[in-house]
Amino acid sequence: MIKLQNVEKVYRTSSIETLALNNINLNVKKGEFVSIMGPSGCGKSTLLNIIGLLDAPSKGIIEIDGQKVESYQDKAVAPLRNKMLGFIFQSFHLINDLSVIDNVEIPLLYRSTTAKQRRELAEEALEKVGLSNRMKHFPKQLSGGQKQRVAIARAIVGKPEIILADEPTGNLDSAMGNEILNILQSLNESGATIVMVTHDDAMAKRTHRLIRLFDGTQVL
Amino acid sequence: MIRHLFKLIWNKKKTHSLLIIEIWASFMVLFGLATLITYNVKNYLEPLGFEYENVWAITLNNNQDTMAVAEKVQTIFQSVKGFPEVESLSRMSDAYPFSHSNNSRTVKYKNSNVQIGVVIADENLSKTINIPLIAGKWYRNTDSVGKYIPVVINKMAETALFDNQPAVGKVLNDYYGKATWVVAGVVDYYKDKAEFMLNKPIMFELLKADQIYNKTLVIRVKPGTDAVFEAKLVKAITGIGKGWSSEIIYLTDARQTQHNITLIPVIIFLIICSFLLVNVALGLFGILNLSIARRRGEIGLRRAMGATEGSVTAQFLGEIWVLASFSLVLGILFAIQFPLMNVFDVAGGVYVTAIIIAIVVIFIIVTLCAWYPSRQASRIHPAIALHED
Repeated sequence: MIKLQNVEKVYRTSSIETLALNNINLNVKKGEFVSIMGPSGCGKSTLLNIIGLLDAPSKGIIEIDGQKVESYQDKAVAPLRNKMLGFIFQSFHLINDLSVIDNVEIPLLYRSTTAKQRRELAEEALEKVGLSNRMKHFPKQLSGGQKQRVAIARAIVGKPEIILADEPTGNLDSAMGNEILNILQSLNESGATIVMVTHDDAMAKRTHRLIRLFDGTQVL
Repeated sequence: MIRHLFKLIWNKKKTHSLLIIEIWASFMVLFGLATLITYNVKNYLEPLGFEYENVWAITLNNNQDTMAVAEKVQTIFQSVKGFPEVESLSRMSDAYPFSHSNNSRTVKYKNSNVQIGVVIADENLSKTINIPLIAGKWYRNTDSVGKYIPVVINKMAETALFDNQPAVGKVLNDYYGKATWVVAGVVDYYKDKAEFMLNKPIMFELLKADQIYNKTLVIRVKPGTDAVFEAKLVKAITGIGKGWSSEIIYLTDARQTQHNITLIPVIIFLIICSFLLVNVALGLFGILNLSIARRRGEIGLRRAMGATEGSVTAQFLGEIWVLASFSLVLGILFAIQFPLMNVFDVAGGVYVTAIIIAIVVIFIIVTLCAWYPSRQASRIHPAIALHED
């Protein structure tokens, strides 16, 4: 489902060149739940951004669902991000001025769906994460765990094949973290391919496979 | 997406209230300015109704001399007429074309009751300043023997008094209902306060030669007649009326003065409004820049969810348009009262045009102000924006 070949990412400024990722080769199969671990600054988030087409590699090839990413131009990658990928972030990234259901609808705004379809799909996604009773609430009225569940609902509303989670339990206590991971596991069991960046060994152990990075290099 | 933008703005209405008020206030100022400009442009585009090139007005003042004033005016009239430079000559009231004098009275016809501008002039005025008639004829001195005073009215007066029925031959009553005037002819336009004047009902009334008042002479001179002739005229006039004074006014200059009276306040208002709008635009630009800086996380998120650069630009432009629309709805509610309540007696079409102009200008301003910040927003790298937040 996700294939990276000899991927390298270099950040350049006028005076400094930083190798963030070095020769990464990765193959994530359809339906796999993979965790990425490593110390701070080792390139975990960079790798996730590259998989999520939020950033372009300096070198190497990326394939998503067997389709080689030929261009990283905005118009080429935006539809891929919208249809193939769902993102979950550590800090939730909910829009405080929109209600829960309106937040969940956001990915659907960038594809051709009617307002009615959007509403139905968002309700369905919120139901999956157990928040159907909080649709009209605003993010400020929710707990951290609830916010992350909204973020998960938003990630799955467009029925993407791949879910990318960047430390989804990082801002939550362990009970809430477990709850979120349970949801991710159940999504994985329903067929979603998940790549999760985490610092938490216990969480990583619950995934199918662990990838370790150190100084931008894949060590496991 | 439009619904989404409305929700986003509506949910942030408290935060945006000052911005909404600012745009509303700008709209109201623009509406005022556009009304003023539309009103004047509309008037300017209407015909003047007479010619003023090579036409001079000579005002006569008998000062302390009260002896045989009417005779002396007649002698001056004949003397001026005798100059070969004078092509045509007319005697009239102080309300000569482009003067600052006004005279009006109430005229009645059946149930119509109209306040009408009055110009007292002799039979030669229509020839001297070339006022074309659209019905009937210009009165003659010989008409003064009739039962009623002959008058010529303009189309506006005809409409107001007779509801577009032919006016020629009809008798008009004065304020007390006494039959006083008979309509001899109808002219189309006569805007004696220059092009920017609103076309109003006007009535020309026959001046009797034995009057001691209404002693302004209006002369059409041959093209190229210069100040040398002006000096000759003054000499001739003061030679007849000892102790009299006179002033010669070129109608081209008087017209320019009338234009200045209208245009200078408009230009001052335009300059003040421009400063105001530039300030509003700069403020708006600053607020949008700040707002976008605060919303980098949201921009990153939208990009991650599939928004293209174009859709981010469109979203921010859309937001400001929605915001402007809220302000404009509020503004239109105020502005529409002007035509509905007939404020200042200005035609409803002028207000409606002004509302449309103000709406268009507001949208242009907000679009220009939002364009650069919106483009900047669209260029925010999603990975960096998401990482920062």
